[in-house]
Amino acid sequence: MSGAAGRLDIVGIDKHYGAFHALRDVSLSIGRGEFVTLLGPSGSGKTTLLRILAGFETVTGGQVLLDGRDITSLIPERRDFGLVFQGYALFPHMTVFDNVAYPLRVRRVPRAEIARRVGELLDLVQLSGLAGRRPAALSGGQQQRVALARALVFRPEVLLLDEPMSALDKKLRGDLQQELRDIHRVLGTTFVNVTHDQEEAMHMSDRIAIMNRGVIEQFGTPAALYRRPASRFVADFLGKSNILEGVLEAGAGGPCFRGGGLAFPVPGAGRSHGPVELMIRPEDAALGPAAATGGDVEFTARVCESTYSGDRTLYTLAAPGLDRFLVYSRAGGGAAQDIGATVTVSFPIRECAVIGASSPV
Amino acid sequence: MALSVGFGLAFLIVPLAIVMPLAFNGGSYLSYPLEGLSLRWFGAVLHNPPWLAAIANSFRVALGATALALVVGGLAAIGTMASRRLTAIVLWALFVSPLAVPSIVMAVALYFAFARLGLNGTYLSLVIAHALLGAPLVFVSVLNSLRGLPPELEQAAASLGASRWMRFRTVILPLTLPGFLTGAIFAFVMSFDEVVIALFLVSPETQTLPIALFAALRDRLEPTLVVVALSLTLLSGLLIFALARLRRSAAPLGKDQ
Repeated sequence: MSGAAGRLDIVGIDKHYGAFHALRDVSLSIGRGEFVTLLGPSGSGKTTLLRILAGFETVTGGQVLLDGRDITSLIPERRDFGLVFQGYALFPHMTVFDNVAYPLRVRRVPRAEIARRVGELLDLVQLSGLAGRRPAALSGGQQQRVALARALVFRPEVLLLDEPMSALDKKLRGDLQQELRDIHRVLGTTFVNVTHDQEEAMHMSDRIAIMNRGVIEQFGTPAALYRRPASRFVADFLGKSNILEGVLEAGAGGPCFRGGGLAFPVPGAGRSHGPVELMIRPEDAALGPAAATGGDVEFTARVCESTYSGDRTLYTLAAPGLDRFLVYSRAGGGAAQDIGATVTVSFPIRECAVIGASSPV
Repeated sequence: MALSVGFGLAFLIVPLAIVMPLAFNGGSYLSYPLEGLSLRWFGAVLHNPPWLAAIANSFRVALGATALALVVGGLAAIGTMASRRLTAIVLWALFVSPLAVPSIVMAVALYFAFARLGLNGTYLSLVIAHALLGAPLVFVSVLNSLRGLPPELEQAAASLGASRWMRFRTVILPLTLPGFLTGAIFAFVMSFDEVVIALFLVSPETQTLPIALFAALRDRLEPTLVVVALSLTLLSGLLIFALARLRRSAAPLGKDQ
């Protein structure tokens, strides 16, 4: 029962609320059958963008195209987009079956086909036994599945999800993320998800658009965003990172980085002068001298804080010129370091990323 | 506490308690002591064509006024909900204003307006006049239940392809039905008990129950009066009881969301 999939082009969208500029010249192309997440802190404009896609908000400027057709001012009921609301918005006076059947009844689908398709969808979300229940008699996770089934039963070309997991506990969230991915694979529908949860975004999406203050900071695969952030904001927002601020200088073997009390060559920097920010992820650095860890750069630092989480320990270090440097250390290997101890840290240059550069160092 | 409740009850109930037993008086005077208990005056009312006509008139007018008030008040509430906040405040003030105008002023105004249209003494004039008073009651109670409805429910229905009318019929109306029913009962009771405006607008043919009661009071004091008054009171009491039940059944619906 694979569904149709639409291609969405968001072209130069602007949205003002009075003096507040909620979206600034936002453009985004979402491919047929892609799973895209709009990720950002609250107030970043991600929900506004989703509501514009759904047709509940007008735009101040710009266009929304579905398969090349301008749908910017099309009313919501003509868009045929599935929409899963944050609070699910199930109809409390209808049973699960009637909720899921609703979009089909609106479309005057014959009774027998309604029964068949609702049954199919309830199977897909594993709720077959609960068709006769009212939403109030369901758990949060079950309500979420009903909302999903209702939004998919009329085979929309695009499914919009507005923070679908935010009301669920962590364990349930993990299960539903997996299920949502499976459903996406089975149906092949275009999914646009909104969340502020970076883990959820990383787990589920083909591509993520990171939004901040009404602009898209970066749009790309989870790996591209994580390894090659286009801005300091993206580097900070996705996972933990160390940012080394300094300058690039021309050296003997190419561009050289100098900053934070460190100096080392960055052959792939692409330019050889000017201020620069380098990012190194805490899992790419290691405690120990470079020779032992396979790193290139080493320095000594003082342990300020350690956070033990079973499989690994996160150390917060400080060194002259570096207020804060995070390193993950695998538990099991090596003795735990006490707070105040002096340690040697090292990292390989190839794992450094120049922030804003499109390719790795 | 018990004292104040007791005093309040006494104040409200005692006059009724004194008058009501007279409906069962065996004699033909409105006075104590009762000359034996009897239901003869109930029979007298039911076999008296003028009383029956007045009862029928009252139902006819009240039902018509309720229907008209439901449509006007309901539409006004839906429109107000869909307006921006400032507009909504202005609309609210306008739609409830008939409640603030003294009924004697309204009565005189309607009397002259209907006279010009040649409607005085018709059922239509009474229905319109009472709907004018009933609509704000419907408006307020429907608006309250619309405000209690999460806006996502209508948006969800829209995203699922339902047109505006479809959304109203399948989602909004079923979920705000207690509000509509409450408004309808208020409007009905209001029309059924209304005296001042009716006094100006009725003709002998369209005389409503309260007017008939009023007239009978002047003509001759008979226990039939009390029988009719008792019946009016019981009907109102029944509807108020229904209101209380409605309120209770409406409560869990709000909690779901």
